[in-house]
Amino acid sequence: MSDKVAILGVGMTKIDSAKKDQKLDDMVFEAASKALAQASLDREEIDSVVIAACDELDGRCISSMLLAMPAGAYLKDEIKVTDDGSYGVILAAMRLMTGLFDLSLVVSWCKTSEAPLSDVMSMRWDPFYHRGIGMNHITAAALMAGAYAERHGISSDIPAKVVVKNRRNGSRNLNAHLRTPVTMGEVRLSPRVSWPLRALDCAPESDGACALILASPRRAKKLKRDAVRLAGFGWAADSYYLGERMLWDSPSLRIAAGKAYGMAKIKEPVAEIDAAEISDFTSYHELLAYEGLGFCGSGQAQDLIREGITAREGGLPVNPSGGLLCSNPFTAAGLFRICEAFLQVAGKAGDHQIRGATKALAQGSAGFCAQGNAVFVLTQ
Amino acid sequence: MQAAMAALDDAGMTMEDIEAVVYSMAPSEFLGVNEPDRWCVDAVGGRGRPFMRIHTGGATGISAAHAGFYHVASGLFDSVLVVGADKVRECRDSQQVLNTIWDPLFERQFGLTTITMAAFQAVRHMQIYGTREERMALVAVRSRGNALNNPVAHLKGRITVDDVMASPYLCWPIKKYDTCPSSAGGAAVVIVSEEKARKRCTRPAWIKACSEVANTVFLGDQMGGMAQMDFADSDILAMAAEEAYRQAGIRNPRREIQTAELYAPFTICELSMVEALGFCRKGESGRLNEEGFFSMDGGIAVNPSGGTLCANAIAITALARVCDGALQVMGKAPSGMQVRNVRHAVCTGEGGSFQFHAVMILGDDD
Repeated sequence: MSDKVAILGVGMTKIDSAKKDQKLDDMVFEAASKALAQASLDREEIDSVVIAACDELDGRCISSMLLAMPAGAYLKDEIKVTDDGSYGVILAAMRLMTGLFDLSLVVSWCKTSEAPLSDVMSMRWDPFYHRGIGMNHITAAALMAGAYAERHGISSDIPAKVVVKNRRNGSRNLNAHLRTPVTMGEVRLSPRVSWPLRALDCAPESDGACALILASPRRAKKLKRDAVRLAGFGWAADSYYLGERMLWDSPSLRIAAGKAYGMAKIKEPVAEIDAAEISDFTSYHELLAYEGLGFCGSGQAQDLIREGITAREGGLPVNPSGGLLCSNPFTAAGLFRICEAFLQVAGKAGDHQIRGATKALAQGSAGFCAQGNAVFVLTQ
Repeated sequence: MQAAMAALDDAGMTMEDIEAVVYSMAPSEFLGVNEPDRWCVDAVGGRGRPFMRIHTGGATGISAAHAGFYHVASGLFDSVLVVGADKVRECRDSQQVLNTIWDPLFERQFGLTTITMAAFQAVRHMQIYGTREERMALVAVRSRGNALNNPVAHLKGRITVDDVMASPYLCWPIKKYDTCPSSAGGAAVVIVSEEKARKRCTRPAWIKACSEVANTVFLGDQMGGMAQMDFADSDILAMAAEEAYRQAGIRNPRREIQTAELYAPFTICELSMVEALGFCRKGESGRLNEEGFFSMDGGIAVNPSGGTLCANAIAITALARVCDGALQVMGKAPSGMQVRNVRHAVCTGEGGSFQFHAVMILGDDD
């Protein structure tokens, strides 16, 4: 495993509905500082920084201008991606693999409480074909959810069970935004947001920042202690035009997972992976992800839920942290997934630790209906 | 899409040969579509492929090229397309957009824009080095003249120092002709592994170095007091260049570099940058420029394309620097624009409050 990039530490703010006591730069500084502390490193030792942030949600048109400094980038080689926090890890890992750098800090954040999320999302549509329809991220997700349910004849109880599972998981996670479990009845009675989605099928809007420290293979070799390795990663994009996509399937996730598994030499994901942290922007997203990640065949995600395979006690616990359904700091959500996967493999997940986890998967996604997907495999 | 196709054509490749795509997109507010990279996935062949967007303000294009290099140099990919496009004129007032780059709590209310920011640098350079407005004007004169040979430049023509001096002040001492235009355009490069390059191309431009450095946003912290630098000087560029020269094995930039494509959106930026790049001593650039050292037939031809002063489609301006630098090394620049015997071309990008500086060095086969 010594040719792999290692993860030395992570830092996360508490995820909340509105962090009124912290400016965005305070949140970013807290996350970066915590990651350095967990890795027992000084900022001076870091030689590269990758930021993953969204200008429009940060309310400034080059958000890294102010935030590169609290992210630790002063006089460092710094670069920014925008898609999702997880893409920062991809770029940082590639930079480390070139041999030009040794230690990289990856930082992502989002303060949705100060951003008109729905308006920002509506403005992501192109002005010619989509924008006039008035869709936002929720209505787009509903189209995907509806297409998936229709295609495979999924009853609304299945996604509701995903919600119950993740909210129960989230109640064990001290860092989660929503920490109260919900019942099937509560999900069924929650208001309809956009058919077939009910309010509890959808992720909340949260504030949070997180950071992670990666070491080059060269540097990782020198480490005495057992480090968590980034064994594999892959990413890909689907078409932007919803009409071009078969919304009940996620080809980009299949491609991304295929690459990550190939790199990490994983043949049977369900048997080999001990925990997965995926981007369940809605409960239906989680079901689709099971299929895209090869946890089951097409249309069979409902069986995994029925049989409790992805529950905390099951063979492949998915979102032991509670996932996005409990905490959704939008742009940073994917990096939080990787941080949580790290905690599982490092045995540092506290009350939501999956015992004996040595291999964890994380998935980040970007764009409408998970247009872009990134998959990461972390091992001991 | 046009840019992507042109780059692939030039490389003798098709989209089938491309394994991953990097999208170069700076602030989206000019275009009025948030995260427009997602919209353009299909147009640039991102569908079904690894695809990511890079955004480092004005430096975006060169950062995207760096990212393309990292894709290949990591060993994960053999061929990557780096592409982007921008239409800065689609918004009502680009400076109104650029006011929102400043921190809302401290600097935004001053009404700071990129023009007033450049004025600060100019005034500082004038105060420390006695740089005169006429000497800044001469940069515009040379750039517009060079652009006459560049078929894709936005502004070009024979102008005089008097013309620049007579152009209206936007913010003293920055005049209209000291300033880049708001442009629309696309650009793309294809970056491939060494093995592939040797098979496909008789004279590729080799990437010898990639480096970028970030500074604090706050102008007040970029000089005086505790600062380790001065706003007159592009000291961050000097840091990035030092690392790039180390990677490329360049000891004497003035002798070993034949041409430079610099992201200098204002005339003063170019004077400050050539000093930071070690082409001359601090405060010397204005005089050397007057003597023709940075002209097409001078010691180092700076911005043979006309540079950013003649075309600034922000998202790809720094990528265009890489394109133009590559053309110089490959000997493919349009006639009149081609510098003779180019062995090393240095390309730069600058973003934020002159706080992000990125350098790429392209070279021939040693």
